[in-house]
This record gives sequence, structure tokens and C-alpha cells, in this order.
Amino acid sequence: MTKILTRRAITKGLALSAGALALPSIGRAQAKSVKIAMIAPMSGPWARQGQLLRMGAEILADDINSGGGIKALGGAKLEIVYADAGDSTEKAKNAAQRLLSDEPELAGGTGAWLSSFTLAVTEVTERAQLPWLTLSYSDAITNRGFKFVFQTSPTAEHQAAETLPTALELAQTATGKKPATIGIIQDNTASPVSFAKPLRDGGLDKLGLKLVVDQIFTPPLSDATPLIEKVRSGKPDFLLLLTSAMPDCKLVLEKLDEFKLSHGKVPLVGNGAPFGSPELLKTIGPELLEGLLFSVANWPIKGQEEFIERFKKKTGEPFLTQDALCGYGEPAILVQAIETAGSADRLKVAEAIRGMNLTTGRAAQCFPGPIKFDEKGRRIDVPMIFAQWQKGVPLTVYPTELALAKPFWPSV
Amino acid sequence: MTFALPVKRQLWAIFAFAVAVLALSAVLGSDYFELVLTQVLLWAMLSVAWNILCGYSGYFSFGHAAFWGLGAYTVALGMLHFDLSPWITIPAGAVVGGLAGALIGFPTFRLRGHYFALAMLAYPLATLYVFQWLGYQEIPLPMKREAPILYMQFTNPRAYVALALGMLVISLLMSLWIENSRFGMSLFAIKQNEPAAEAAGINTWRWKMLALMLSGALAAMAGGLYAVVLLVVTPEAVFGMLVSAQALILALFGGVGTLWGPVIGAVVLVPLAEGLNAKLGNVLPGIQGVVYGVAIIAIILSAPEGVYWKVRDRWEARQSKRRKEPGASPPAVTTVPALPRAQRAPVGADLLVLRDVSISFGGLQALDGIDLAVPEGGLYGIIGPNGAGKTTLFNVINGFLAPQRGTISFAGEPLIGLRPSQVCRRGIGRTFQVVRAFPRMTVLENVIVGAFVGAADDSAARRMAVNALDRVGLSARANAVAGRLTTRELRLMELARALAPQPRLMLLDETLAGLGHDDLDGILGAIRQLCADGVTVLIIEHTMQAMVQLVDHFDVIDHGRLIASGAPDVVVHNHEVIEAYLGKKWAQQVNEAAK
Repeated sequence: MTKILTRRAITKGLALSAGALALPSIGRAQAKSVKIAMIAPMSGPWARQGQLLRMGAEILADDINSGGGIKALGGAKLEIVYADAGDSTEKAKNAAQRLLSDEPELAGGTGAWLSSFTLAVTEVTERAQLPWLTLSYSDAITNRGFKFVFQTSPTAEHQAAETLPTALELAQTATGKKPATIGIIQDNTASPVSFAKPLRDGGLDKLGLKLVVDQIFTPPLSDATPLIEKVRSGKPDFLLLLTSAMPDCKLVLEKLDEFKLSHGKVPLVGNGAPFGSPELLKTIGPELLEGLLFSVANWPIKGQEEFIERFKKKTGEPFLTQDALCGYGEPAILVQAIETAGSADRLKVAEAIRGMNLTTGRAAQCFPGPIKFDEKGRRIDVPMIFAQWQKGVPLTVYPTELALAKPFWPSV
Repeated sequence: MTFALPVKRQLWAIFAFAVAVLALSAVLGSDYFELVLTQVLLWAMLSVAWNILCGYSGYFSFGHAAFWGLGAYTVALGMLHFDLSPWITIPAGAVVGGLAGALIGFPTFRLRGHYFALAMLAYPLATLYVFQWLGYQEIPLPMKREAPILYMQFTNPRAYVALALGMLVISLLMSLWIENSRFGMSLFAIKQNEPAAEAAGINTWRWKMLALMLSGALAAMAGGLYAVVLLVVTPEAVFGMLVSAQALILALFGGVGTLWGPVIGAVVLVPLAEGLNAKLGNVLPGIQGVVYGVAIIAIILSAPEGVYWKVRDRWEARQSKRRKEPGASPPAVTTVPALPRAQRAPVGADLLVLRDVSISFGGLQALDGIDLAVPEGGLYGIIGPNGAGKTTLFNVINGFLAPQRGTISFAGEPLIGLRPSQVCRRGIGRTFQVVRAFPRMTVLENVIVGAFVGAADDSAARRMAVNALDRVGLSARANAVAGRLTTRELRLMELARALAPQPRLMLLDETLAGLGHDDLDGILGAIRQLCADGVTVLIIEHTMQAMVQLVDHFDVIDHGRLIASGAPDVVVHNHEVIEAYLGKKWAQQVNEAAK
């Protein structure tokens, strides 16, 4: 709960409440607005991610409204209603139920970042038949037979299946040699566990990789020495790092440096957006991060340069990340669906999403691959993205046609 | 109990509460408010469950999330793996919770106070990791489109309110039953003075275990329904610190150890927290936690024992002002007339026999080969200077301490190895050097606790208690709160408590200490009356004067050894006794004077 009351949050909060007081008189004078919801953790341990999502969403609302609103509805303004998912599944679920009660005319929604929150939130939205987009990638979200939930990220299973082959391909391209051994360091929280399970259950054998270091810890990590000693003696060709909390990641990277295994001696591959967060840069520094590769569901890609610049200028963030990008992109998908449906009726919006196949336009630009969902609500033909820390910025390096930089295999 | 309203009124209050909740649910008309109402009821139930152990017995638990989580996972895993309906798994969860209570209580009740509370903290933390390790990080309850009601998946949220309300009412009724039975009275006695409760014949271990198991079962039931309502179970959400804290905070806020305290806490705090989340969460994220914390601090500062007590004390103060109570001047106590020694029944065979009893603490030999025999119907005194080992002797007899050597037999049966409550059950009552009262209970309730041991049922215990109070002449003060008694009244009350189950032998530990001359007569009278009634009495004193008038036999202990034994007038002239009390110099002088 360290990030709760940053000065920025307070000023923003004050500005918003002042705005909220001033708004009603203006609102009434204009045409009816279209409301969509965003539920995200804006307080508690994941507050930062919620704030980034919201930053993206606010820029989108500005873009839409300054561009003449929603055209199919006569220029209706887009209004995004925010709710705090807090720090527990109970709070997240309450937020969803509250939104549905308070805002009967919601056209759709997005959130709630953490997969267990999303699971709880979508139990509510599904029953209300509200189309719901989420970047959470737990398989369970779209395994329940729900009809109104759409997952913009490739599922965890898919990511796990794609990450290593792609990393091997990158290594081979850069070094001309395929790695033969691997080490895994992971914590035992939900996503690393589900990520690594298929690898141990035959996935590594299929790739011809020998598991020489296999370490699981319970966060928070107090000392990484025993883990890294295993790495030093096991000498894997590369190390798969699956940590979900930044302090743990920092401990591991620092210990690697202490054991003189950093700077690419043991190339590192991670999974998930936290590996590309500005906080990581702030606490660990560009030196130790240089060369770290990570697979991620969504990351700024070619064609978004203008947006990246605008985002940096507007928010003061050092670079654009998955959260803010999806915060912009998911509401954009909803807006696109409303335009296509010509209506803000949630059933029609959901239908429009099901029939979607976007490759160009505002929404499509925010995601790699086409915006097209299967009957489960999962996207079809989504390439796995790899980003790499290069001189203090995590840049997309794969797939090549979407890359903003060329990858290098650190040990070369 | 002193704080409890009459049972009938409480039943009406529960009924009124249930009607009010249902009426509220009928008019709310928003799924969101119904959800919050359901949560209020569920958290209230957890807190009521917590209160059954912690409020009544005083054993604080920081770990009730363990039970809540086990209940939630029983439901979630039952549905995931075996397709079991929550209609089955919620009761099953209660069984799991109860068993977990037994498993946890077995090692943990060796600890007391803060140590117990901290040890309890460990259980949910440990189970959290176990469930993570088992791979149960996120368990969504599958949606049952075919037979939703069979799987407790209602479209009308009022059904959840009704279910949660039903479970809460069951918990409240259980609490009420506990408060008004020997179960609650025993827990309450444990809370105030566990050794005294044990010495008064209460099997403290058994009641504590029962309380923990019942508490665990109810908490698990609430957790099970919570899983049904939330539809997603994660270890953090059900085993997390916040769950344990919630149970504690709600009860502390509302009033620990009261029927309604946890409910008051939940009714105020749960909607307050949610309201703050709703109003401030998206404007100033995080501020809701700060406001919530400040609100709790403010209320706890103004009502440290909880809202219930604050309101009740205020109300009572106003009532008593209206009634213009004449203050706390105690009504006159009837003094029991002292019987002359001659009228006493003749003494019989030896009732209590100690042979070679020895115990040492480290290097200190507290008792050293004590031989002692007290005949049935006798009034024996044990004297000796401070630190001679008199109280240790009593502790050995009634089971607080086990001697390292020697035998003790009572009515021909060995006593060593029995718990104090079992010793009490055999017919040995005792009082304490420093009165061990249950200060928040009335005089009558204090005595009832003592009577349980010899009573077949609660009403018999009550009759015996009334009788015992009558015998010591304290009937007029039966309804006074023990905390407000004078020293003499406390002594008499303790005497009555020990007397209530009609023991054959009474161990009185410095019952006369700290009393003025006038008070002394009343107590001496009461003790003589006991003897006249056929009770054997063994009394400790270090002031000789009063004892010489009272007893018919002295045993003198010094430095853990028996140094003299015999009729009072013989013993007081014993050389060794004088030396022990007054030093060698005096002993010599007395000797010379005698010559």
C-alpha cells in the first residue's frame, strides 16, 4: 500500500472531484452520453496498474470526444465510469455490482486487471449480459462457458506454450546455436505456477531443453543466495525468471550480479508486463536490466509511435506499457463495437464484438494481430510479443514486423 | 450473566432483527445493496463465531481465517472436483471447521494469553501456503445453468440475504444458549480466572475445546456461503490476514463477549467500508482505508469496550438516576451464630491422608516429607510463617501441582495425577489466599459456577448456589456484582462457591487474612457452622490468634517441613514453633520464663 497517496494521485483526485462538482450543469445541456465502465485496482498493492489503465482510458475518452464523439450515435460523448477494485476479490465484485446498479445504461466494460478480480467481476457482468473486455489472461476466465467476456490477451496456457519456442528462435537467430539447458526460478503464485506447469510436464522435453536449475519460492523472498548458487553450479544456457513481485525480482537480479552472472552471462527470459515496468527501472537501474527479454501479451509496437509520444508527454511516464496501452485499447474496442452496432444497447454491442474482425483503426492499432474472438471469447491468431530492455527502455523486438528494435542474445 | 438481558427478551430481539433484515432486503431493490447486506450478515456470523471462543473465554484468536477459508475451500473444491452442491458442502464445511478446531486446540490450548493469540495467527498463514502449494490459487465456482437452485445459484439476490440471515440467526441462538447455560458460565469463569474455574470443578480444557470447535464450525459455514456468494475462491481472499482481522475488529468495535457486539460491528463497519470504497475509491484511491481506520480509532477511543457496553452503561446510568438508587451501601449481613465447640459432631476416620509428600522448585525444597492426616469432621489448622509452604501444600492436594514424592489419598482413593477439576469433583473445595472471584459476574453466578460440579443440571446448580449463599449468610448480596464487594463479602462468596457443590473437605487458604476484628467474627462463625454441618475443614493461617479460637488441631509447617502437630494449646507452647515464628532469642526467653 505504498503507492496509495502519491502527490499526483491527490492532485488528480482533487481536480476530479472539483470537476465532478462542476460537471452536472454542463452534462445536462448536451446530447446523451454513452457510458462504459472500467474496474481496476486503484487502491491497494496493485493501485499503480489501475492508475496506468485509467491514464490510457482518459486519453481515449479525450480522443473520442475531441474528435466529434461517437458518430453512429450522432456525436454522443463517451463517458467512462471508473470503479476501484481495491485489494480483494470481494471489493472487486462489489464494485461491479455497484456499477451495474448505479449505471443501468452501461454499454460495456473493461477490467479488473488481476485475474481473480476479473473472475469475480465477470460473474456479475455475465449475469447482466454486459460485454466485458479484459487483459487478464488466466485460462479460467474464458473456460466457464461465458458469452459476454472477451479476453484481449492470449491465455496463460498459450503464452506458456509460445514463450520458450520463440525465445529459442531468438537465441538461434542471434547466436546460430540453439540453447540446450534451462533454469527456472519462480514463485508459487497463480500465474507463474500455471505458466511453468506444462513446461515441467513434458513441454521442455519437446523443446529439447534440459532443466538444470529448478527453484520455486514463496514470496516474499528474503535472500536469493541459495537460488543463485544453484544457477552458478547448474550453468543453464538461459534462465526463465517467473517472479510476480518486484522486490523478489530485484533480489534475484542483484544476486546474479553479485555472483558475476549478470550482463548476459546467463541470459534472462521473463514473462509478463511487470518485467517492463518503470518501477523496475527505477529500483534496479538500466545496467542490470540490459538485455532482459520478456514475453508479454501486449506491448507498444510499430505504428504506435505517435501515441507513445503523446502518452509520455501527457502523463510524464518514461515509456508506454501494457496497462496504459490496454486501458486505451479495450475501451476503443467497445467504442468500435458501438459504432458498428449503431447502438449502445449492450446485447447489440456484444453481438458486434463477436462479429468483429479488425485489422486497422484505432482499436486494432493497440493490439498485435487482428481483433477477432472465437466462441469462447479468446482472440484468434495473436502473436506472442517479446520485448527487451535496451538502454533503459523495454522495446518490442519480436515479431519482427511489429518490432521497434532489433533483439540481441545477451551472452554474445 | 450480569450483562445479558433476559432470554425471552433476547429471543424477541433476534426475531426483530431478522424481521428488520428481511424488511430491509424487501425494500432495497438493488442487487448491489442486497450483496452488501449479504456480506454484512456473513461477516457478522464470522464475528459471532469468533466471539463464542474469544469473547466468552477470553482466548483471543488472530487466526479465524483458517476456519473461514477451510469452509470456503470445502465448497469450492467440492463443486470443482466432485460436483457437490453447496447445500451439502456448507454443512460439510462446518464439520471440517469443527475438526480443524479440535486439531488446532489440542496443541494450542497449552498456551495462554498473548501466546495463544499469536500461535493462532500461524494457522491461516500456514494453510494459505498449503493451498497455494496444492495449486488452488484461483478456484472459480462453475456456473450451473441447468440446475441453479440445486447449486445455490440464485438470480434473486434476496435468496442469499435469507440464507445468510438464517445462518446468522442460528449462530445467535447458539450464542444465546451458550450465554445462558453452564457452557457459557464456565467460559466466562475461565476468562476471568482460569485457575479458580479449574479449582471450582470446571473442566476448563473440555469447555475451551468445545468452544473452539463450535466457533470453527460456525466460521467455516459462513466461509462456505461466502464462497458461494463471491463465486471465486483464492487463498489470499479467504485465509488472508484481513479475514482474521475482520472477525476481531467487528467484535471489538461492537462489544467483545456480548451477543450483539459482533452484529453491531458488522452492521456499522461493513457498510461504512463499502460506502467509503464506493464514494472515494475512484476519486481519491486509497483514502477510504484511511477514513475507515480513523473512524475505528475514534470509536474505539470513545468506547474502548465496544459500542454495546458504552450504550448499555449510558442507559443504565440514566435508569439508575431516574430510580435515585441509594448508592452502593451494602445491606446488613446476617451473622451466623458461632457454635460452641462442644456441640460439634465427634470426629471420624481419617479422610485426607498425606504420606511423605515432597516437592521442590529448583533448589528450593518447598515441601519436605510431609505426613498429615485429617479425620472426617475435623477442623484442622495449618500454620507457619510466610513462605513456609502452606499454599504449596494446598496446591499439591487440589492438583495444581504434582508432588515429586509421596502419596495423597482422599477417602481411601489416591489423588495424585488428577486435574484440579477432578479433585473438586471428588469432594474437595478450596478458597484462595488472594480471592479469585469472577469480578464481572454476580455473587450468585460466582457461586453457581462452583455448584456445576455437584449438580445434575443448571437449575440444580442454581438451587445449590442459593443454599450455599444462605449458609454463609450472603443471600442479601446475591445479585451484587462481585467486583463491588468488600473483602469480607468476597471471602464469604468464595467460601460459598467452594461450599456449593457440597464438598466433604474444604481447603481454606488464609480466609481470615486482611479482615478487621468485626469482620473476623462473621467468618469464624461461618466456618464453625460448616463444621457443624459435617464438612471437614483444613484451614491455613499465619496469624495464630484467630486460629487458636477456631480449630481443634494444629499442624505447623516451617521451611517445608512439619515441625509440630497437636492440640492448639500444646502447639503454641512448642519450642520449635515459637522459634519458627519469633526467632531463637524469643524461644530461649520463653524457655527461661517457663523454668
